[in-house]
Amino acid sequence: MIEVESLTKRYGTVRAVDELSFTAHSGAVTGFLGPNGAGKSTTMRVVVGLERPTSGTATVDGRRYADLAAPLHAVGVMLDARSVHPGRTAFRHLLAQARTHGISRKRVDEVIGMTGLESVAGRRAGTFSLGMGQRLGIAGALLGDPGTLILDEPVNGLDPDGVLWVRRLVRELADEGRTVLLSSHLMHELALCADRVVIIGKGRLLADAPVQEIIDRSTGAASLEDAYLQLTADSVQYRGRSADDSATTPTAGSTR
Amino acid sequence: MSAPAASSATQVPARGRTAGRGATFARVVASEWTKLTSLRSSFLLAAATVAVSWALTYVSANASSVDPGFDPLSSLTSGLVLSPLGLMILGVLVGTGEFSTGTFRSTFTAVPRRLPVLAAQVVVTAAFALVVALLAVGAAVLGIVPAAGSREINLDLTGDGTPLVLAGMTLYLAGMALFGLAVGALLRHSARAVVTAVTVTLVLPIVLMLASDLSTDPMAPAESGPPPAEAVVNTIVTLLPSGAGSLMTTPDISGIEGAPDLGPWGGGAVLGAWILVPLAGAAVRLRARDVT
Repeated sequence: MIEVESLTKRYGTVRAVDELSFTAHSGAVTGFLGPNGAGKSTTMRVVVGLERPTSGTATVDGRRYADLAAPLHAVGVMLDARSVHPGRTAFRHLLAQARTHGISRKRVDEVIGMTGLESVAGRRAGTFSLGMGQRLGIAGALLGDPGTLILDEPVNGLDPDGVLWVRRLVRELADEGRTVLLSSHLMHELALCADRVVIIGKGRLLADAPVQEIIDRSTGAASLEDAYLQLTADSVQYRGRSADDSATTPTAGSTR
Repeated sequence: MSAPAASSATQVPARGRTAGRGATFARVVASEWTKLTSLRSSFLLAAATVAVSWALTYVSANASSVDPGFDPLSSLTSGLVLSPLGLMILGVLVGTGEFSTGTFRSTFTAVPRRLPVLAAQVVVTAAFALVVALLAVGAAVLGIVPAAGSREINLDLTGDGTPLVLAGMTLYLAGMALFGLAVGALLRHSARAVVTAVTVTLVLPIVLMLASDLSTDPMAPAESGPPPAEAVVNTIVTLLPSGAGSLMTTPDISGIEGAPDLGPWGGGAVLGAWILVPLAGAAVRLRARDVT
């Protein structure tokens, strides 16, 4: 279970995350949505201890990430497919990660098999396509067989077959009782695999509810995408205006 | 590319397993060793260090072998003008590698306490560099053999403080790898860190020496010791990593004119400070700040 409580992260005067609270429950896939710059990645980086919150807390199974005894066995993290040294082979990259926790070579081979990277495991990561990089990132997240997974845009750059595979994978992981927090811009994808959706805009919580409830709550929304666009219209519209000083009247999404 | 479903993830029930004790220091060291030895650049730089050490020593010994009072052992350290560079850059790349590539995200989510990673990098860089330094010193010895042979001089590496010179050379070379690591870990940006380290060790001494040569009047009487400007320059050059490190390889010579005579131990201590100060800065930055 991931619990985020009144989390605020400020960079100088910019509030990237603003009093954000939500919970990702175990046994469920929680979709994490928001426009570009909404603070999704920042929130995830704070949860896994790469950044410190300005105020508020973020915990996994009741503990701060930095206090976890064996982080790889507790939380599998994939924040960015480009978290690999381009000169290192996929196998060596995973082995180096595994060795921090005394995880065996056998398990490294196992996650390579699970992610379909057998044929390229000996190739340097710098030669990988975005999709292969994503698979490598997911392989790293699965290494410690963790009870919680945090995946930032895992289907980005994957082929349709890969997208389907990730959908099935996160479903299986959640059905086994694990916590899955997954961000994506692909609404159809999330509607298919997420149990619950947390939507944020400009660092603030906009909605936190089961997928169907979010659709039902929005007026005239037929899909998660419609509901999402309605909910985030304000945050997106606001940014558009500030990017173009000479804007006269906002046209898009003025539903009020 | 097709991928099978994650069937093996189901072998272990979720949340149930708390295997091992997590990221112990020994494991982090093992992980950093895997990282260091899985990059082609590490071995290329190691090979370059050994090759430069041999080549410069060989050329220098051959050139001086025509002198009447030729002592091949005095050519042993001539490779040190350039050979520390390879190991220094190797150290820089260990220090910056995490940040210049984004690997730090994988690394610090596995070891959220962060400092053990830096400490482990010091350990593996020191170990790797020590092996390379021994090979480079061996190569330097091989480099003087032909010149000694041409003059039918028997090489005796055990007498006259030669073991101390060889030990000093080894420590100087290994120390420069750690200096590179410290600068790299502090600056986190490969190009910036390489330029900084090369400037401090190689460019600055040359520039200062040239400047002092140009500003010194060659016709001035020399009895009253070196002029003040030259003394200042010599002192600075002695206190730079390369100058201090060289003192470790010259136990018999009492420093350069006008500079404080630190001796091999003093030189080692100064080089140690060049390692520890930026390393401490890197540790503070790593511990206190966000890593992004």
